[in-house]
Amino acid sequence: MLASFDWQFIWDHIPDFWEGLKATLKVAAIGIGGSLAVGIVLGAARAHRIPVISQLAAVYVEVIRNTPILVQIFFIAGGLTQIPGHPIRLEPFTIAWLSVTIWGGAYNTENFRAGFEAVPNRYREAGRALGFGQLGTFLNVTLPIGARIALPSSINTYVSVLKNTSLLTAVGFAELTNTAYSLESVSFKATEVYFALGVTYLITVSLLSLVVRLVERQLAIPGTF
Amino acid sequence: MPDWVEPVAHYMFHVGLPMTLRIAAYAVIGSVAIGIAIGTLMTIRFRPLQGLIRLYIEIWRGLPIIVTIFLVYYALPTAPVIHHRFAAVSGAALGLTLWGSAQVAEATRGAVQSIPREQHEAAAALGFGWIGRHRSVILPQAFRRLLPPLVSLVANIIQNTTIASLIGVTELLATGQRSIERLQLTPPGDSHAFAIYGALLVIFFCISFPLTRLAIFLERRLV
Repeated sequence: MLASFDWQFIWDHIPDFWEGLKATLKVAAIGIGGSLAVGIVLGAARAHRIPVISQLAAVYVEVIRNTPILVQIFFIAGGLTQIPGHPIRLEPFTIAWLSVTIWGGAYNTENFRAGFEAVPNRYREAGRALGFGQLGTFLNVTLPIGARIALPSSINTYVSVLKNTSLLTAVGFAELTNTAYSLESVSFKATEVYFALGVTYLITVSLLSLVVRLVERQLAIPGTF
Repeated sequence: MPDWVEPVAHYMFHVGLPMTLRIAAYAVIGSVAIGIAIGTLMTIRFRPLQGLIRLYIEIWRGLPIIVTIFLVYYALPTAPVIHHRFAAVSGAALGLTLWGSAQVAEATRGAVQSIPREQHEAAAALGFGWIGRHRSVILPQAFRRLLPPLVSLVANIIQNTTIASLIGVTELLATGQRSIERLQLTPPGDSHAFAIYGALLVIFFCISFPLTRLAIFLERRLV
């Protein structure tokens, strides 16, 4: 019975999957970098209770975490173009990286807020006593320690950012899932196509977690294992 | 209120929302049942079984949910041996259940292992077998720890039911999109996409926010 599974078909279409995977990785890389930046800045604003920015960041986090990312994607791709009076029309690639960055940034803001808040206050006081200003204390004391505390939970966010790029297929962005969907609709080899798609995601997700874990080990505070 | 709002709201609340809640209910029940069962089985020190359950968890947690749903809905009907065609609603519910049960299994394993050894020993001394010990002594205590992640799971599953729209289920998101298309085709041709997608964000927020707050509250009470 296994003979009806067409391995040759998968083999022949590896270049197509590779093209899709490249687009997925590109968007995921920007999304991960972007959510790292958003997470550090807004996480710091939350942890240090900077007026106005902290409250706005809290609203942003709650809105993103309590609404489906698929609706967020459609809102950015289809809703913003229809704002009465001021339509905002974005390129498909912009829609792609923007939506996963907004999503990942919200989750990372929480990760980094918790990480920065876990840094004992006496460390900051020591930084101030050494003559660092407020920004200097953050950059030299709170950030290096707090970011490491936040790292394990932010890994989950990065993996989710990668997985969430698959939803961009809904707005026709040609990433990995979309490539598979198109391939299936012309070949009708659904089992082969989606089997290959699933395996590709599992390998990519495992590799990403492996890479981030290696980075984590490199960055670990010496003597804390 | 403009004329177009009433029929759209009626469609979304009477067709879309019930379907969203129905799929979510199937998926939550399935995830909790399967997840608690295999998560508990995973605490038995029997390597082949542990390995098998670990594989199940890693696969369904590693795959994007949309890929799992596509596998169930598109790939199974043409798969060798299986040849089973699911209706879109069951396919979506099953896909969400595979993902959700992996989450619950992982949480259950942690919760069961957090119960001190003495509880197992005391229950065994009272004459309970493995099943009776877990059903009457261990799981009721583990459930306290399990409750906050289960509440978050409900919120997550409700959000992820929107993926069902991609295989043609008329849940909340799909009813919104169909309304947009219909408004576009009827004069004056204004789709109101901004308002409708905005409304969808608000509706999901109103469902999800109380649940995530409840999860945080339960988590704090536990500590």
